[in-house]
Amino acid sequence: MADGGPKPSSSVKLVLLGEAAVGKSSLVLRFVNDDFQENREPTIGAAFLTQKCNLPSRTIKFEIWDTAGQERFASLAPMYYRNAQSALVVYDLTKASSLAKAKHWVAELQRQASPGIVIALVGNKLDLTNQSTGLEGSMGGLSLSAAAGEGDEEEEEEGDARQITTAEAKSYADEEGLLFFETSAKTGHNVQEVFTAIANAIPESTLKTRGGPGANRTGNSTGGDTFGSGGVNLSAVGETNKDGCAC
Amino acid sequence: MLSLSSLISKASSLIDPNILPPSLLNQVNGSTNDGQTPAVLFRSNFRLPDSESPLAVIPCELSLPTGEHYFGRLHLSESFLCFSSSAPSSVSGTSSSSSSTAGPPSCGFTLPLVAIRRVERLHSRSYLFALAVTTWHNDQKLTLQFNSLRSTCEKFCEALKKNLRSQMSEMKNLRMLVGSCYSEWLVTGGKSKDGAKEEPDAGLGMVWKYPGDAKKLRDRSKMRLWAEYLRENGRNITLIRQPTFHKLIRVGLPNRLRGEVWELTSGSLYSRLFNPTLYTDTLTEFSGRHSLSIDEIEKDLNRSLPEYPGFQSEEGIGRLRRVLSAYSWRNPDVGYCQAMNIVVAALLIYMSETQAFFLLSTLCDRLVPGYYSQTMYGTLLDQRVFESLVEKTMPILWEHLVKSDVQLSVVSLPWFLSLFINSMPLVFAFRVLDVFFLEGPKVLFQVGLAILRINGEELLDVTDDGAFISCLKNYFLRLDESAHPRSDNEKLRAVTRFQELMVVAFREFSGITEQTITDQRTKHKDSVLSSIESFAKRTTLRNLGPESKRLATNDLGYIYDRFYKVLYERQERLAAIELEKERLNEKKVMSSARSISEKSISEKGRIGLGPSSQLMDYDYFREFLAGVAKWAIADSPSQLFSPSLGGSLDPQWGNGRKKSINLSPWGDNAEPADHEFMQRLFRRWDTDYRSGLSLQDVVAGLAGIKGKKDIMESISYFFELYDDDGDGRVDREGILRISEALLFITRRGWETPPNIGDQSRNGEGKGGTDPFLGSVSGFIRRCFEYADPDQQGKQEEVSTGVEGMDELVDLLDLASDDEDDESVKSPVKEKGPFKGKEKENDEESKEKTSLEIDANTRPSAMSANIALDPANPLHITLPTFRMIVLADEVLEYFFETGFADSIVLSTDGSKTPSGRNMSAGASAFGNLGGGGIAGAKGLRGVLDNIVNDGMRVAQEVRRRMDEAQKEMERNAVPGKYKEDEEDEGDAKSILEGDRELLKGAEASVVDEAAKLAIKTGLPEDDGASGTLLVSPTSSLATTHVGEELRTPTTPMPTKVEFEMDK
Repeated sequence: MADGGPKPSSSVKLVLLGEAAVGKSSLVLRFVNDDFQENREPTIGAAFLTQKCNLPSRTIKFEIWDTAGQERFASLAPMYYRNAQSALVVYDLTKASSLAKAKHWVAELQRQASPGIVIALVGNKLDLTNQSTGLEGSMGGLSLSAAAGEGDEEEEEEGDARQITTAEAKSYADEEGLLFFETSAKTGHNVQEVFTAIANAIPESTLKTRGGPGANRTGNSTGGDTFGSGGVNLSAVGETNKDGCAC
Repeated sequence: MLSLSSLISKASSLIDPNILPPSLLNQVNGSTNDGQTPAVLFRSNFRLPDSESPLAVIPCELSLPTGEHYFGRLHLSESFLCFSSSAPSSVSGTSSSSSSTAGPPSCGFTLPLVAIRRVERLHSRSYLFALAVTTWHNDQKLTLQFNSLRSTCEKFCEALKKNLRSQMSEMKNLRMLVGSCYSEWLVTGGKSKDGAKEEPDAGLGMVWKYPGDAKKLRDRSKMRLWAEYLRENGRNITLIRQPTFHKLIRVGLPNRLRGEVWELTSGSLYSRLFNPTLYTDTLTEFSGRHSLSIDEIEKDLNRSLPEYPGFQSEEGIGRLRRVLSAYSWRNPDVGYCQAMNIVVAALLIYMSETQAFFLLSTLCDRLVPGYYSQTMYGTLLDQRVFESLVEKTMPILWEHLVKSDVQLSVVSLPWFLSLFINSMPLVFAFRVLDVFFLEGPKVLFQVGLAILRINGEELLDVTDDGAFISCLKNYFLRLDESAHPRSDNEKLRAVTRFQELMVVAFREFSGITEQTITDQRTKHKDSVLSSIESFAKRTTLRNLGPESKRLATNDLGYIYDRFYKVLYERQERLAAIELEKERLNEKKVMSSARSISEKSISEKGRIGLGPSSQLMDYDYFREFLAGVAKWAIADSPSQLFSPSLGGSLDPQWGNGRKKSINLSPWGDNAEPADHEFMQRLFRRWDTDYRSGLSLQDVVAGLAGIKGKKDIMESISYFFELYDDDGDGRVDREGILRISEALLFITRRGWETPPNIGDQSRNGEGKGGTDPFLGSVSGFIRRCFEYADPDQQGKQEEVSTGVEGMDELVDLLDLASDDEDDESVKSPVKEKGPFKGKEKENDEESKEKTSLEIDANTRPSAMSANIALDPANPLHITLPTFRMIVLADEVLEYFFETGFADSIVLSTDGSKTPSGRNMSAGASAFGNLGGGGIAGAKGLRGVLDNIVNDGMRVAQEVRRRMDEAQKEMERNAVPGKYKEDEEDEGDAKSILEGDRELLKGAEASVVDEAAKLAIKTGLPEDDGASGTLLVSPTSSLATTHVGEELRTPTTPMPTKVEFEMDK
C-alpha cells in the first residue's frame, strides 16, 4: 500500500450507514488501522477518518464518515451523506433485521444522496458463520493478532449463526445495482476488497467535479429527488435508479 | 447609607409595575418574551421545579449577616422564597426582565420554604416593614426590608405564612437531603447534632481519584475558600449567592464540592428535595424489566469514559447502568440516547447516583431540551443556532467554510451533544460544565464560538472537513499549554490556552445571552422541525411493512399526514379544552405530586419534537375516518360541547360552532359518527389489542379495504368483521348488523354505476335514487332464507339486538299492516321466515324508490317475527354470504368498488369530505333526530330520538313525503330536486299544497306502536344523500297511511307506505 509515485490522486467521500452494532466502526478501523480496539466510545454523530487506496492507475484518498448506528441518530445522517460519492451500507449476517434496515438506507441514499453515488452492501461478521474459514481470496493485511473480538458483540455463538443467506443478499444487491461483499472485520476477510472495489467503481467524471468551491451545498436536505444512473458505467452499479421501494 | 438607599428604592417602588397582584403580574411579565411564559422564565431564573409558579413579588432590600446589602425583588412561589438583586445600574430602573437577560445577578437566593425555621416581623421603625428570616442553618439570619405599600407587604406576608405552613410536611425530606450534602460535612467537620456521620458520597472520584492533578488544580486552597464562603453564606439548601460565589465557580470547583454545586446551580437539588425516594423507587419498580433502551444502555456501558479507572470497575459500571436505566424508565419518550452515557459517566465521578439521576433529568428537561429526544431536534436546532451565531460574529470564517464546503456541525455537534466531555480533556470539560450549570446553555455557544475565534486563522487555511476536524482536535490536546509561550511577560506566559478560551468565551462573547439563544431557537425551530419531519416521513413510509405496498405512494403519504394531523391536533385540542376548563373553574390547582418529567403542553404536537403517544384511541380513529370517509361524519352535531346550538338545530350549524370552537372536542372538523361498524373496524385494525392504532395499523387496515382488487377478498373482509368468534359463521344478530352497516355506509349515497341503475329491478334513472335500500332488504331476506340453523341451538343474547332488528326488519315489511300483523303473529319455523311474505313482497321489494316509508306493527309483534325468534338460532357462512352478495348487482358493485371508494385518501380537495359539504345532510338528519344527542350515537341514536319524538317526526316525514312527491311529479329525474330551507313556514305551505296527496291514502287509525322506514333522497348537488331508518314505538294514536306513488321515471308502480302519528 505504499504510495507509488506521481499517480493522479483524488479524494472520495465515503459514508458508512447501517443498524447499530453491525460493525461499521470495526470495518473502518480494520481498513484504516488494520486493528481492533476494545471499548471505544460510541460514535457521537459521526467519526471521521481517512485512508488511501492505491489503484494501478491512481490513488484514491477515502474520507470516511463513520456514522452512529442508534436509530435516533438517523435524522442526522443527511448531514453526513451529503455530497458522498460512495457509501457502505452494512448489515449483520447474523441478524435478520439488520438487512431490512440496510435496505432502507439504500433506498434513502438512492433517493436523497448525490446522484451516481456508489453503494456497497456489506454483510459483516462472517466470522460468526462456519463459512468464515472456507473462503479464500483475502488480500494482505490479514492480521489475526487483534482477534480478541469487538466490545459490542457480546453474543458470539458457536457454529453458524448466519441468518441471512448469501443468495438472498446478493440477489437484492443485484436488483438494486449495488456492490456486494460479505466481510469479517474481526479477521479482516474481504475488508480491503470492499474499499478497493468502491475505489474502482467511482467514475472518473465524479472525481474531477469533486471539491469544487461551493459545489452542491444544499444544507441538511441534500441531493435531489432526481436520481439518474448517468455516468455510472460499471456493471455493478448499472441500474441504480430502480424503484425498489414505496417512496 | 441605609436610609438613603431605602429612600431610593421606596421612590422606585412607586413606579414599579411589579407590585401587583399575581394575576396582573403575569401580564406584565408576559410581554417580555414571546416564547416563554412568565412562569417558565421565573422557574428558569431560580432553577425551580416545574410545579412552582410565581405567586407574589415585592421589592425588597436584603441585609446579610456578613453586612452586605442588596436591593432587588423577593419572589414567593408555592414552596420557595427567592431573591435576586437588581443589577447595580438599574437600582432605580423598572425593567422587569433584567434578571433574565443580563448575566447572573450579583446576589440572590433560592430558599425552599421548608428550610426557613422562623420569620419575625421587625418593628424597628414605624414606616418600615421588615422581616427577619432564620434559616435551617441556625447561624444565618437574613433581614428583608420591604419597599412597598403596607397593604402589599401585608398581603405578601399572609401568602408567605400560608405557604410556610403547608410546607411543614417536607421537613423530613430536608433533613435527609442536607445530610447527603458534602458541604454539610465540610462545614460541620463531620459532626452534626444528629451524631457523627460518615463522609457523604461525592462520586466515584472519592475512590478512584478525581481526574487531573489535585495539586496543580489547587484543590486544597479552593476547598478552604469554599469552606469559608459556605460558613458565611449558608450551604446547600440555604446558600446565598453573592458575587464571590460566581468567582469561585469560574476558577473551577474543588473536586468534592463539584457535584453538589452543580446540583445547586442547576436546580436539580430542589427536584431531589421533593422527590427523595423517586430514584430508588424507580429502580425497585422496574427491576428486572426489559426495554429497547435497556438493551442500548448495556451496549454502551463499557464504552463510557473507559479511560477512567472507575468505569473499568463493576461498581462504576453498575452506577452508570442504574442511573441511565432509571432515567429511561422515568422518561420513556427520551429513553436512552448515545452521549447520555458519556455525560452521566462524567457526572458520576463527582456525585452520587441519586444526584446524577436528578441532574440528568434537569439536563434533558431544561438545560438541553430535545438533545437526546427520539428525533434529537434540540441537537439539530442548536447546531442551526450555532451556525447562525458564527455567521453573525465571524462572517469571514463563515464565508470561508461555506466556500470550502465544510459543514460546521459535523465538528460542533459532538461538542454540544456531549457537553464537550469527549472533545476536551476531562479536566477542562469539567471547568466548562461548572459554568454551564451556573449560567445555562448559552455557555456551550460561548465556548464553541471562542474555540473558532481562537483558531480562526488556522481554520481559514483549511479547505476540507478532514483538515477542519484535525485542526481542532490538535487544539483540544494542547489546552494546558501556554497561550503565549513566546511572550516576555511572565504572567502572560503563565496563561494557559484553556484560560484564554474562557476569557474569550465570556468576555468577547458576553453579548450571547440566554435571550439570544432563546430568540435564535424560536427563529429556527420551524425549519429544523420541518426538515426532521420530512426525513421522518420518508423513513416511516418505507418502514410500513408489506401491507403498505398495496396502497399507492401518495395515498400512504396522505395517510401519514392525516394520521399525525389528527393525533397531534386532537392532543392539542384536548389539552386546550382541559386548560380552558381549569380556567373556567378558576381553580388554581397546586399539584402536590411533583413529577420531575412534567411536560409543558405547548411543547407537544409535532413529529419533529419526538413521539408522545403514537397510538390512536377510538375517538382519534373516528376523527381520522371522518376525514377520509363521508359516512363517518355524524349526522347531527353533538350538543355537549356546543352550548351555542341550544335547542334549535340550525341547518347552518357550522357557523354556530365557530363561537364555541375551543370547547368542542372535534375543533373545526366535522364531528365524526359513532357507529357499531366503526367500532368493529377499530377492533379489527387494532391487531395488537392495545386499544390503540399505530400508523402501521391504520395503513394495514386501509390497505385491507382499499388495497383489495378482488371482490371476493372484499366480501370476506366484511364477513370477517362480523364473525366475532372467528368460527366462520355470522349469526342473526350479525346479519342484521351487517345490513345496518351497509345502510350506514351508504346513507349519504355512493356512486352507483350508470349501467346498474338502468338494469336494476326498478329501472330507475341513472344515479338518481339509491337502489341500495332495496338491495339490503333483499339481502336480509335472502340471508334468512339461506341461513343454516344452529344445531347447537345455543341461546343468544338478544337484549341488545332487538332494537336493531326492529329497524331493519321493517324494511321487509312492505306489505300492508294487516298482513304483517298476521304474519308476525303466526309462529313460523326457521329457515322459512319469509315464506309467506315473500311472494307478496316480491314485486314490491323490486320496486322501491327513493322514498319508502313503511309503517306497521308494534315491537312486541316484531320480536315474535320468525326471523328474529331467539329460540331458532341460525347463521350464515361465508359462502352463503358471498352468494347472496353476488346475487344482487348493487351489492356486488358495492363490494367490488363502492366500499373501497367510500374512503377517499387522495389529497384532492373536492373529494375530501368536509363539515361544510355535509351540512345539508346533517341538518336533514338533525331535524329528524330532533336533538343533537343523536349524533353521538349514530344512526341508531337518530332512530331512538324519533321514537321519543314521534309526533314531530311524523310531521317531518310527511312533509318530506309531500315534497318528494311533488318533486317527482314535476320532475322526470327524481332526487334532483333542491332541498328547501327547512323553516316552519316552508314546511307548512308544502303541507297545505299537497293535502291532496294524502286524500287517496289508505289511512287507518291504529292504536298501537308505529313503525316507519323512511328513505330520504337528499340533493345530489350537495354530494350527499341520506338513508334513514325509523322505528318509533310511540304509544300515541297512529294513522296508517299507505299510498301508491307513481314515479314518473319508472314504468313500474312504486309502493310507498308509511304510518305516522297524527
